[in-house]
Amino acid sequence: MCGIVGYIGERQAKPILLNCLARLEYRGYDSCGIAVAGGKLQVHKDAIRVGALQEKLPSHVEGKIGIGHTRWATHGGPSKINAHPHCDCTGRITVVHNGIIYNFQQLRQQLAKEGHNFASETDTEVIPHLIEKYFAGDLEDAVVKTLAEVEGSYAIAVLMDGRPELVVARKDSPLIIGIGDGENFIASDVPAVLDYTSRVVYLEDDDIAVVRKEDFQVKRKGKVVDRQSHQVTWNVEDAQKGGYEHFMLKEIHEQPKVIRDTIRGHLTAGQAISDEDIFAEGDGREIIILACGTSYHAALVGKYILEQQFKVPVRTEIASEFGFTGQSSAQSRAVVITQSGETADALKAIKKLRSEGCPVTVITNVVGSSATRLADRVICTQAGPEISVAATKSYTAQLMALYWLALPLARIDLRRKDRLITEMRQLPGKVQRILDDEGKIAQHAAQIATYDHAFFIGRGINYPVALEGALKLKEISYIHAEGYPAGELKHGPFALLSSEAPVVAIVAPDNAYDAMLTSIKEVKARNSPVLALVEEGDEVVEEVADSVIAVPKVEPLFSPVINTVVLQLLAYYAAKERGCPIDFPRNLAKSVTVE
Amino acid sequence: MRQAVILAAGEGQRLRPFTVNRPKVMLSIAGKPILQYVIKALAQKGIRDVVLVVGYHKEQVLDYFGSGELFGVDLKYVTQERQLGTAHALAQAKGAIKDNFLVLPGDNLIIGETIDRFDTIEPEAVLVKKVDNPMRYGVVKVQRGTVSEIIEKPEEPVSNLVSTGIYAFSRAVFDFVEPHLDLPDVANRMISGGQEIRAVETEGTWLDAVYPWDILSLNAAILQQARASSAGTIEAGVSIKGQVSIGDGTVIRSNSYIAGPVVIGDGCDIGPGVCIFPATSIGSNVVVAPFTEIKNSVIGSDVSIGPGSIIEDSVIDNSCDIKGQFSACRGQEEIAVNHERHNVNFGAMLGEGCVLGNSVVAQPGVIVGNYSQIRSLKLINGRLPDRSLVL
Repeated sequence: MCGIVGYIGERQAKPILLNCLARLEYRGYDSCGIAVAGGKLQVHKDAIRVGALQEKLPSHVEGKIGIGHTRWATHGGPSKINAHPHCDCTGRITVVHNGIIYNFQQLRQQLAKEGHNFASETDTEVIPHLIEKYFAGDLEDAVVKTLAEVEGSYAIAVLMDGRPELVVARKDSPLIIGIGDGENFIASDVPAVLDYTSRVVYLEDDDIAVVRKEDFQVKRKGKVVDRQSHQVTWNVEDAQKGGYEHFMLKEIHEQPKVIRDTIRGHLTAGQAISDEDIFAEGDGREIIILACGTSYHAALVGKYILEQQFKVPVRTEIASEFGFTGQSSAQSRAVVITQSGETADALKAIKKLRSEGCPVTVITNVVGSSATRLADRVICTQAGPEISVAATKSYTAQLMALYWLALPLARIDLRRKDRLITEMRQLPGKVQRILDDEGKIAQHAAQIATYDHAFFIGRGINYPVALEGALKLKEISYIHAEGYPAGELKHGPFALLSSEAPVVAIVAPDNAYDAMLTSIKEVKARNSPVLALVEEGDEVVEEVADSVIAVPKVEPLFSPVINTVVLQLLAYYAAKERGCPIDFPRNLAKSVTVE
Repeated sequence: MRQAVILAAGEGQRLRPFTVNRPKVMLSIAGKPILQYVIKALAQKGIRDVVLVVGYHKEQVLDYFGSGELFGVDLKYVTQERQLGTAHALAQAKGAIKDNFLVLPGDNLIIGETIDRFDTIEPEAVLVKKVDNPMRYGVVKVQRGTVSEIIEKPEEPVSNLVSTGIYAFSRAVFDFVEPHLDLPDVANRMISGGQEIRAVETEGTWLDAVYPWDILSLNAAILQQARASSAGTIEAGVSIKGQVSIGDGTVIRSNSYIAGPVVIGDGCDIGPGVCIFPATSIGSNVVVAPFTEIKNSVIGSDVSIGPGSIIEDSVIDNSCDIKGQFSACRGQEEIAVNHERHNVNFGAMLGEGCVLGNSVVAQPGVIVGNYSQIRSLKLINGRLPDRSLVL
């Protein structure tokens, strides 16, 4: 998991590369580097963030062509030596790479035997040395021969001293070309180039492109192919913090709009017929929902919506485990949820499902991402680019997509459907109400921040909410947090309860209410402080719990949306209280494009 | 002038309930917050380096305007933590100011023409305007084009020329700024210190909302500039007359009749058989059920209005859920705001998130606080505080 960028044109490459890299830091940020070719090829890199590199760079880094990299270490720890770009023995060929080379050990031994000297511990370094070996006057040809020997996933950009071109290629890792006027850009993801252009070309697996100042040419298996350019509707605005201290808080605040945008056009009073009725043919047959991380929690909510409310059997699978255990058939229907559309485990799962004859619908936030090209059907959520590593608005958008996907299926009477649709339209206002009152949540968060452990419990449709609340808290505040179905506490976790471990209980006025009340009392008996999320006006829970956060009244089916927003804010303010780097938590990267 | 400071931190206390959860600058007029008109005026004059002083419910401003990219300006935010006067607000921006600059109140609605020529004037200067009710504002005493004094809210105004709150200043102004002062105080101090402040009169639009019902007159005034456009779906048998703007994903169902100027936002579901008359603004994600009539009103976002309702000269804030047969007709009424008596003529003012049962009748002049709940068949009048429960 890394980000790569490249520039070729009439301007100085250094500031452009650094700006592009800064926008890709969500993909990794343990080290970074750039290579710029002017009079002479210069490489500068270190195990520092892009901002720090910018300050360290000498002023005379000049040249109008260059490549850059921001890294999330896989092979070889974060260090100056392991940072990209990597060079060949002559120092004339430099490469940036995102992905993993599986057979790099064999290649490296072979190359070392042939006399190549390796500086780093990385898998990447075999690439420049292979290119050096095969170079006979044509850089593209050398790259083609190199990639023929390489097994694994990659997006690479190659820069060779004295040549007015960048050679790039991708396989199982994302790569785009940003088309400018008399200049072109390379990047792992669209936000990197939005400051300069909104026209992009998405490269596909096994594409190799030669990018020059004025044009580019894409080849696949030796034949020239035409790749359409897309106009990106995101703008730079979306990728900036706009007055907020952190992207995460900005993105939490965007959720009312995201909900409106995601349901727009899919809801009309009196009818809930979606054009995207993907389950029509599979009616009654098994549905598999696959995802990783936060998206998996959306999948679990999806299971409750479809199964409990709409009587369809649903299986959820963690995408990275699906390869070991998963079984599907042509009778199954699958939904794969991936924010970035580039999550390696999700892509692998899609390929497996398709090979088993199971039709796949992808819910993703990124138009043109790898997942969209593999799927039978695509549903794009309207969350806009999400920069904060901790997912917030993309999760809410996934939930909204699942709701409107499920409604046509609903084996419930039309009156209830109508009521649900009316309620759904009111969600943006209810989320806004939580945001307007976030000061109160911040006070509760300051309490949570004083502990080193926390438990989140929920039942029914709010069980996945407990998981998501715990995940948010642990990933940004580093407080050890666990989510449990409330009924499971007795089977082990009880041993950890004490006055030093607060329990956050998510209570909705649904069929799990009484059981939740019992669980809270049990927890209280073990001296754990209890913070409960309750519907406003609930005085029963208020009496039992130590403190409560009252949320707006909402149909229990939609309570995950409301409650998750509260828990996002709880995690945010707890992390802020503890002084954590909220947008870029340690060891994490935005989308995990390695397995 | 290359830079401007917009003061957007104020609450607008007399505009409650609409300013309980948002600053006054974010009141929606013809589908856009007041502040957006001010920013647009600056962008039209090529002033793109804009410092926004935010404070009270600043997130609302941040969420809407972001970095300013979508509005053609480059916004920097500075926060006034406590609202200690407009001079104190301006002082917060000192570090971001390079040279001569404009100061504008973000809560008075202006258009580009309002600041014609003033955008290029040499400091120090104040933009003034003739109004009918000068006692509400700072009256400006002018001698030979120069201000001799600004008198705030005089009982007996010496003229009908008032300050628009728009100034052209050099950095010298910061020597006169102290907490707890307002900008007119600062201007008066500068004058007594021998500094000349010129008065420049504008004929352009300058509108201020002081009381909740002022939203209606501002809305009507601005809607006159509305232009017809449609990004939605118009079913067969819909009549649309005049300047009607319809947002993306909005559906107007059969047999509805819309007479502009009317602005309707994105993702709304209107009709069948709904009548919307001038001058009405409707937000996004709004449902208007069959056989409802709306005129001269401002409807927020995420609002649901049930069938057979009559809504005249009314403001209905975001997320209200109104069942059928709601009646809010306009009429004369005397009401009190902060112990001042006012003769008004409007229908109903509903705060955010109100839930109304069937067949609620609003007496003219009723002002309902945010998140109130009114049961079916109730008659409401007077002033209801936030979270009222009418059983």
